[in-house]
Amino acid sequence: MAELKIENVNKSFGETHILKGINLDIPDGEFVILVGPSGCGKSTLLNCVAGLEEVTSGAIRLGDKDMTRVAPKDRDIAMVFQSYALYPNMNVYKNIAFGLEIRKMPKAEIQAEVSRVAKLLQIEHMLDRKPSQLSGGQRQRVAMGRALARRPQIYLFDEPLSNLDAKLRVEMRTEMKKLHQRLATTIVYVTHDQIEAMTLADRIAVMKDGIVQQFGTPQEVYDDPANIFVAGFMGSPSMNFLECEVSRVDDGFAVEVVSEAQSYLLPVDPNQADLSGYEGKRVILGIRPEQITHVMPHVAEQPFVTKVTVKIEVVEPTGADTLVLARINDQECECRVHPTESGQPGEMMDMLFNMSKAVFFDPKTEDRL
Amino acid sequence: MSVTNRKGLDYWLPKLVLSPTIAITVIFIYGFVIWTAVLSFTRSRILPQYEFVGFEQYVRLFANDRWLGAMSNLLIFGVLFIAICLIVGLVLAILLDQNIRAEGALRTIYLYPMALSFIVTGTVWKWLLNPTVGIERFMISLGWESFVFDWIVNPQMAIYTIVIAGVWQASGFVMAIFLAGLRGIDTSIIKAAQLDGASLFSVYTRIIIPSMRPVFFSAFIMLAHIAIKSFDLIIALTGGGPGNSTDVPAIFMYQFSFQRGQLGMGAASAIVMLMTVLAILVPYLYSELRTPKNG
Repeated sequence: MAELKIENVNKSFGETHILKGINLDIPDGEFVILVGPSGCGKSTLLNCVAGLEEVTSGAIRLGDKDMTRVAPKDRDIAMVFQSYALYPNMNVYKNIAFGLEIRKMPKAEIQAEVSRVAKLLQIEHMLDRKPSQLSGGQRQRVAMGRALARRPQIYLFDEPLSNLDAKLRVEMRTEMKKLHQRLATTIVYVTHDQIEAMTLADRIAVMKDGIVQQFGTPQEVYDDPANIFVAGFMGSPSMNFLECEVSRVDDGFAVEVVSEAQSYLLPVDPNQADLSGYEGKRVILGIRPEQITHVMPHVAEQPFVTKVTVKIEVVEPTGADTLVLARINDQECECRVHPTESGQPGEMMDMLFNMSKAVFFDPKTEDRL
Repeated sequence: MSVTNRKGLDYWLPKLVLSPTIAITVIFIYGFVIWTAVLSFTRSRILPQYEFVGFEQYVRLFANDRWLGAMSNLLIFGVLFIAICLIVGLVLAILLDQNIRAEGALRTIYLYPMALSFIVTGTVWKWLLNPTVGIERFMISLGWESFVFDWIVNPQMAIYTIVIAGVWQASGFVMAIFLAGLRGIDTSIIKAAQLDGASLFSVYTRIIIPSMRPVFFSAFIMLAHIAIKSFDLIIALTGGGPGNSTDVPAIFMYQFSFQRGQLGMGAASAIVMLMTVLAILVPYLYSELRTPKNG
């Protein structure tokens, strides 16, 4: 158990600069998820922490030890790979025991350790099977078992659930969370799936183009995104981005939206953004689909809520909610309504825009205002 | 709905196109195999004749010193040829798999001997190994007067020159097979083993090589049947000599059938060779076709 410090890490392959000055402080026992689109450098960063890739510059510290130039096997790190990377010629027992054998652990201790791990992961009955005889979910467990057996200081997971089918993925996600709660070890976990990131992480590092865009708790990242990229990446369906003009109203600011040739002024919550420098200029309003709903009396009375009449273009039922696609300021805008309240495509419908959680971005820098 | 019973061109064309091939295969492969088997039970000398004598030709065959010599040569050649090819091929493949530069070019260079006919290989190595023009002469001309490398004219050692030439020709091919096998292994397995603390050597000896068992098997089968059927290489390199010291069953079969007028015994030796190849191939095909995927 130890804290992991990633200090100003850069990584280049020839001319390509993959990681551009990554700084992350991960306290002991935290479950951190690196999330981002493919090619953002998240797996490279994980490999650098594991020692499978050498960093070009910067340092990786584990506890008070500098691990930057230490060989992978001496870093006391275990990793679970996307493909599970089980040794195909060994049975499950041997797979779990291999790392211990290499470390010259006495036979009796190995046996005890393997059976502890097997019990923990409920794979005792398949210890003498070969990986080729296991299902995806079982292989996944064995791969985790192999990592757990060494009792390392840190676990690294490289998209461990992405090869599982949707149902199993949700199950394993819950199990992974339980496991972390039980073990309380530091985990760094890479995924491109933002739902996995939201549900599992203590903190999320959102990466793009080799730069950490934001590092915060799931709720922070969701509610207070640092820029348009983070706002758009986290959350599904993703946030609506509407370019609109800022104007001054009474004691604050409002943004103007146009729907079906009708103009509306949406008041801006001063706690969310100070738009004083932007009067008369254009900003990007970021508003999540669940903040645009059908008319509910208790919501309508709240401050910063405005009723807008929109024309329904497309209706997408998801079961729990129905997503309604409308056109606002000539841009697509998704709204989340109760299934029974939804109209048909082509019909007009009243929507409540709740601005209390809306965020604003500069159209040029795309940073949060 | 009008489904006619008349079978049109669509039905007959594939059968028509395939039938010459099938006829040729049946007559010239299976037909002649059967004919050879029949001849091996007859008293045929220069020309086939059909006076059946049971297993007499086989009894004579296994009482023949030249045949026994040929079999023991085949054993020496086969074991060394297969073992050295596997080792050299594996080592080359592992070295080529280390992400080196110009891998494609090197691979082609190593694979090229396979493109040569065994006759060419045999002739080239005959010159190289010839004491009066080849390596020995070259070393002596460099000033190493006492250098001797006369295996090709030494009846005790001549069989090993065939091993050298055979290995030179086939090990590049084995390398290509192993390289394909190595490429099929998930690189994250190697990474995982590194994190587990294994050295590169033990990654190969404990994980990669054991998991390439099917590849070893395929390579072994291919080399084994090359070894058993080897004929042209030996004809070109030593012609079976000096004396009969590099005789192998294929040469024995050819000489007895077509040069010495012992068609019956030649046929018997051919059938023994066929049985040897089948003894290796059948279990292989059985295991390949029977077991589904075994990752």
